Amino acid sequence: MPTPATLKAKWFWYSILCVLCWGGWALLSKMGSREIPADTMQFIFTFGTLPVALALLVARHFKLEKSRKGIFYAVSNGVLSGIGGLAFFAAFRSGGNTSVITAATSLYPMITVALAVSILRERLTWVQVVGLGFAAAAIVIFSL
Amino acid sequence: MHLPPWFWFAAIVLISWGIVGLLQKLSTNYISAESSLIWLVVGFFLLQPFLYPGPAVFSYSARSLTWALLSGVLNALGAWALFAAMKSGGKASIVSPFTALYPLVVVLVAPIILHESISLLQGVGVLCALTAVVLLST
Repeated sequence: MPTPATLKAKWFWYSILCVLCWGGWALLSKMGSREIPADTMQFIFTFGTLPVALALLVARHFKLEKSRKGIFYAVSNGVLSGIGGLAFFAAFRSGGNTSVITAATSLYPMITVALAVSILRERLTWVQVVGLGFAAAAIVIFSL
Repeated sequence: MHLPPWFWFAAIVLISWGIVGLLQKLSTNYISAESSLIWLVVGFFLLQPFLYPGPAVFSYSARSLTWALLSGVLNALGAWALFAAMKSGGKASIVSPFTALYPLVVVLVAPIILHESISLLQGVGVLCALTAVVLLST
């Protein structure tokens, strides 16, 4: 249980907001995908992200860092996120169980950790090794 | 072994979003998290010409179109809340695994609004997945 100090902390409530928003995003993705094909879902979804990006831009007084590398990585991020989003909507449209698909697709940190080890030469902690074990168990169960 | 069609789509999601996780680490080495989100949306828009559905978009019900649009708003709002949590003193080692628990909302709400239930085995799988994302995000 969170301590009284945690309950008063702003970060805790922002985190709760994040969990609720992303939970809502997954549910609405399923609800929209019942009728709309994946490519059109991603097309419309993108317009939904625009107000938040514009609000951030205004909050930063239209000043963004000019690092070419940073911008390249972030834009590539968007392209790959969009491709992943397409598959996310397609998974929902294919009729599987929403809770199972959401839980299965949330396992992506497993790939990030594997890439961070092989490309960034980061070292795995014991906790992450146990996490990989649970991820593998989940995938095996979902494939049954 | 026969795998359901969603399994293959989920594999594409895992690989692409897994790489995104790495690129996110790399981009925030050079620019702020907020700038990173703004440029990420620019990346989304680069795909738009390939996804343009034409006039067919108006053939879908207003309700489904609203769900699609709102899913985008909530996704970006969630990302903003994550940044805000980190900026307002939340440790990444706590905030990241905590926010990775969003599938729990789906597990709790899906039976009520989508009238979907999961089998015991699927429930064990969801539990393993949730444990995995929390441990992997620390």
